[in-house]
Amino acid sequence: MAPYDLAGTLGVTGSYLVYLGIGFGFGFILESSGFGDGRKLAGQFYFSDLSVLKVIFTAIVVAMLLIFWSTALGLLDYDDILVNETWLWPGIVGGLIMGVGFVVGGYCPGTSLVSVATLKIDGMFYVLGLFVGVLAFNETIEHLDAFWRSSYLGRFTLPELFELETGVVVFLLICLAIVMFIGFGWIQQLIYGKKDPE
Amino acid sequence: MSTVFNLPVYGAGILLAAAAALTLYGQPDLDQKWGFMAAEYGARLENREVYVDPGELLQRMNDDYIELIIFDLREERDWNIFHLVDSERVSINDLPAQRDRLRNLSELSVVVLVSNDEILSTRAWKHMMALAKPNVYILEGGINHWLNVYGVKHEEQDDHAAASLDRPDGSLRHPFKYALGARHAAAQPDEHHVPQREYTEKVRLLKKIARAGGCG
Repeated sequence: MAPYDLAGTLGVTGSYLVYLGIGFGFGFILESSGFGDGRKLAGQFYFSDLSVLKVIFTAIVVAMLLIFWSTALGLLDYDDILVNETWLWPGIVGGLIMGVGFVVGGYCPGTSLVSVATLKIDGMFYVLGLFVGVLAFNETIEHLDAFWRSSYLGRFTLPELFELETGVVVFLLICLAIVMFIGFGWIQQLIYGKKDPE
Repeated sequence: MSTVFNLPVYGAGILLAAAAALTLYGQPDLDQKWGFMAAEYGARLENREVYVDPGELLQRMNDDYIELIIFDLREERDWNIFHLVDSERVSINDLPAQRDRLRNLSELSVVVLVSNDEILSTRAWKHMMALAKPNVYILEGGINHWLNVYGVKHEEQDDHAAASLDRPDGSLRHPFKYALGARHAAAQPDEHHVPQREYTEKVRLLKKIARAGGCG
């Protein structure tokens, strides 16, 4: 049953080769989807280019379906895969900061690395800022420790929040994604008089 | 051809159908999940690799190096009559509430499950493996066996001594005069003043595999 202990099965070198292959595939898909271009990424916030939103949300719902179907069939132990624990208010504040950084800078941390791979100067400065930010955070977090560790909810997911069966939540999220794609397409049409090619 | 029949529409339809089917199919409960895991972990039960002798549990109760957690799964009535020092009464149905705690145990943590015999604790072991795969063991023979080894005759009715462990049915087979809980002498016997037992050590400390991931 997955997830598998790759290091135990393939050895450290073998597992690193697998990680390298996955990283290569991930980077290849991101770059070929245009995720190495800050203007394209930021375009989703202005409704001028919704391809990033569509790619990401499609990936999310497909991965979600694969995870929970695999769990239902006994192929994957969902309890054994990493689900980031929830610190509600620090998460909200952090999300706001990252969101503003995304709109202004045009990248999230992962896509900024993709842009560096294609030698984009704005991506390099973004990554430089990222490292400085990480350093500053680690040097100052002790002063915000009480807030940083507040409102801890543990491994808290949507089925627990809404007290619904996992399958129902998955179904509703797919509905949400479809409504969002259609709705944002209308807004795009309204503002720019055109839609992304499908 | 109508533009309705294009790839995004087909894709959305397939996703919705798969999600609807998932809703009907449901997610496995702990017993079903154990069914999936049994091929990988069932041998530990069959080979009795996780059943610890009372002598080993007593030694671990006095071991300051490990963080020992004893879950007593029995009914409140039996718990009130007798239970081991520092044990926690947890119903088997309440184990899912312990999931986060179990997942965050350190590498020095050892959990031992206790019931009157091995029926309930073995079922709970399967549930705990399905929940969080902690470093968890079962008290061999349960409290009935423990009291056979460390019990105090005059605390029991009619100076009852050893109870039969044959045909386990989940019941406490020692009749006590009083409900002493953890104040009973056998709740934590002095390991230097009880007969030394020979046993095969089962408890091993596990190295935790770090879970990592995420996307920026």
